[in-house]
Amino acid sequence: MLSTFHGLEVAKRGMFTQQSALYVTAHNIANANTPGYSRQRVNFVETEPFPPASMNRPQIPGQMGTGVEAGSIQRIRDSFLDYQYRNEASKLGYWSARSEVIAKMEDIMNEPSEFGLSKAMTQFWESLQDLSANPENEGARAVVRQRGIAVAESFNYLYTSLSQIRDDLGQEIKTGLLEVNSILKQISELNDQIKAVEPNGYLPNDLYDKRDALVDELSKYFQVKVETVPSGGNALDIAEGIYEISLVNQDGSTVKIVTKDGYSKLSVDPPVDPVNDPTNPDGYVSEIRIEDALGNITTISYDKFNDLASGRIKSLIESYGYGSDPNNVKGYYPDMLADLNKMAYSFATMFNAQHREGYDLNNSNGVDFFEMNVSDNTTGKGAAASIKVSDVIMSDLGKIAASSKSGESGNGNNALYLSMIKDVQITNGSATLPSSSGTTVSVPITGGTVQTFYQGLIGKIGVDGQQAERMKTNAETLATSVDNNRQSVSSVSLDEEMTNMIKFQHAYNAAARMITAIDEMLDKIINDMGIVGR
Amino acid sequence: MLANNMLRNLSNSYERLGKYQEQLATGKKISRPSDDPVVAMKGIAYREDLARVKQYQRNIGEVHNWIDSADDALDKVGLALQRVQELVVQASTDTATPEDRKKIADEIDQIQKHIVDVANTKVGGKYIFNGADTKNPLFIGYPGETGFAVNGNQSDVEIEVFDGIKLDVNIDGKTLFTGIIGMLDNLKTVLNDPNSTGNTISSHLSQVEAQQDALLAARSELGAKQNRVEMMENRLSTQEVIATKLMSNNEDIEYEKTITDLITQESVHRAALSVGARIIQPTLVDFLR
Repeated sequence: MLSTFHGLEVAKRGMFTQQSALYVTAHNIANANTPGYSRQRVNFVETEPFPPASMNRPQIPGQMGTGVEAGSIQRIRDSFLDYQYRNEASKLGYWSARSEVIAKMEDIMNEPSEFGLSKAMTQFWESLQDLSANPENEGARAVVRQRGIAVAESFNYLYTSLSQIRDDLGQEIKTGLLEVNSILKQISELNDQIKAVEPNGYLPNDLYDKRDALVDELSKYFQVKVETVPSGGNALDIAEGIYEISLVNQDGSTVKIVTKDGYSKLSVDPPVDPVNDPTNPDGYVSEIRIEDALGNITTISYDKFNDLASGRIKSLIESYGYGSDPNNVKGYYPDMLADLNKMAYSFATMFNAQHREGYDLNNSNGVDFFEMNVSDNTTGKGAAASIKVSDVIMSDLGKIAASSKSGESGNGNNALYLSMIKDVQITNGSATLPSSSGTTVSVPITGGTVQTFYQGLIGKIGVDGQQAERMKTNAETLATSVDNNRQSVSSVSLDEEMTNMIKFQHAYNAAARMITAIDEMLDKIINDMGIVGR
Repeated sequence: MLANNMLRNLSNSYERLGKYQEQLATGKKISRPSDDPVVAMKGIAYREDLARVKQYQRNIGEVHNWIDSADDALDKVGLALQRVQELVVQASTDTATPEDRKKIADEIDQIQKHIVDVANTKVGGKYIFNGADTKNPLFIGYPGETGFAVNGNQSDVEIEVFDGIKLDVNIDGKTLFTGIIGMLDNLKTVLNDPNSTGNTISSHLSQVEAQQDALLAARSELGAKQNRVEMMENRLSTQEVIATKLMSNNEDIEYEKTITDLITQESVHRAALSVGARIIQPTLVDFLR
């Protein structure tokens, strides 16, 4: 026998459930513009029918439904799209950092323009040609000296500016890792909260959203892999569990950085903080250290950096420089700095050798035109930063050796040879001076000429920059399209929410109307029945 | 999502507009190597070529300087030698008395000093007839004075007028001028000698002519060099046109094309804006009571 108030209970459940659905709709609308928010829905579940199968069940025909309840509130999200998005985001992080650093380098090199190193070299060449036509002229000599200073200063400027940017990259690696560590800490804390909520049978949707937003952020820095571990207890089957996050290498091997027990701290060794910590002045990274919650340290050494799949940190380290020790540093900026040193050293060495062969206005042999502090003759390390016109030349214009023969002030042949230096063919690191003396000079540049070497540098920046820009655009397009897919699943559509609102409101109203109907029925029974003959 | 897409498309569209605008403002296709590495690298080489051609043109200016000055100086020497020839003819008549001849010798002495001055011509701070030793004059003092000396550097002064092509711009002043001065010395000795007859003096005419021939040879050498320089100059101006054109083809924009592109892009941008304004606005919210 059914209870008299059965209908009231069913209608009340309906009202409550529709009401909670309306509130969830309100929550969705309120968060329509919240980054990382996934829309939520109430999973409506029918309540247990009456009577249940049992020995003492009442004998009524059929099972009667008892209404509805909100089984769970779940967020709508496709974890496969998350996976795709994060892959693209780490590629995007890699290529956009790459394209940024190359753009900075292009800005500094400032080629092609009227103000770059190649212009300074051309003007120096012009002044030497003028000197060869007017070798006895003090004015022509003064111009050669000034243009020589301009060449030296161009090298100094390029070297210092590029080093400055490289130092900035070091800072960026440092702050990037701080950011990563903070993200890992937050993810780990969210894991803890989720671990506390899920066993009670709840779905902490908003915590899930926060955690996924953090993983998205993290995937810009490193390529990561996310695995889930159930949090146990009374957790629902659809509960997402605890995230365990690992760094992914190209060969697919992984290093855990967040586990259910805690999070790791990432740092690089030696520390890259050129401003506050000058122990690493040449700027290189030899390993990434990963210290887990228990204090165990895993390292990824420099020769394994290539293994890191992608991400902004990898790109920054590749630009900043990496290697086993300060003398074996590879990387985009260190390579460019080394090439500038090679170029400055080769040019100045050949120029000095040719200058020494000539004769100055006082009929003595030339001295070194350029001076520099070089620690290693095979690489010219230090040349670009320290090159300058020598003090002797600075104090006496007559010391410029324009003549190829003693006592001939009108002989400009040596000036002419000097002007040819930048176009001297270098073979296997050895160059024969343009004069007929046949003197050979060994230089760090292995082939071509100083001029073509520089063109090659600019060409390389151009090609690399173009590639980085193209890859960045590709990654951006893919990331955007995956994100679009993801948003079409997870984001709040106001149209849909409005439709839902109408649906739930009507259902609520209808349930309320049911109560009125039952009220009338009960009124009939209570007030109008059994009054015959009263 | 629609809003994001629209924002992205709009900013892409802005970026393209900016690119065209930059191209129009600079007149160049590229502003950084990564825009087009090939154009950038070629650009460096073409600039280099152009700078080279312009420098050689300047060097040729200097060559002209040398040759014109030398030619001008030798012209004066020619006039002087003509006068000497007249004087020798005058002195060789037997009616001329030793006093007359002495006066003629005095005039020749003055002419000799004039020729020494010409030999020491200085142009733009350079002695042009003393070989490559341009800081010092060919002659120190005048003949007959104590301390008279000949410096006599005979090296060529070479100026590069094209890659590897050098012109020696000076003439051998020492041989020419010492010949002339020596000849004049002889003349003076003969004229000052009271025993000289008309015949002995007129026999010196052939010496004068020999020096005139030497002078002519030097001037025609200068003339030939002049021709060579002019040919080189023509070649260089053709080269300049070619180099400028190559550079321009490589890196300059075609204005008509870029402006058309800009206008097309502008209308695309307008369309994107107006479509955006339409799709962004309405939702179901607008139509519910």
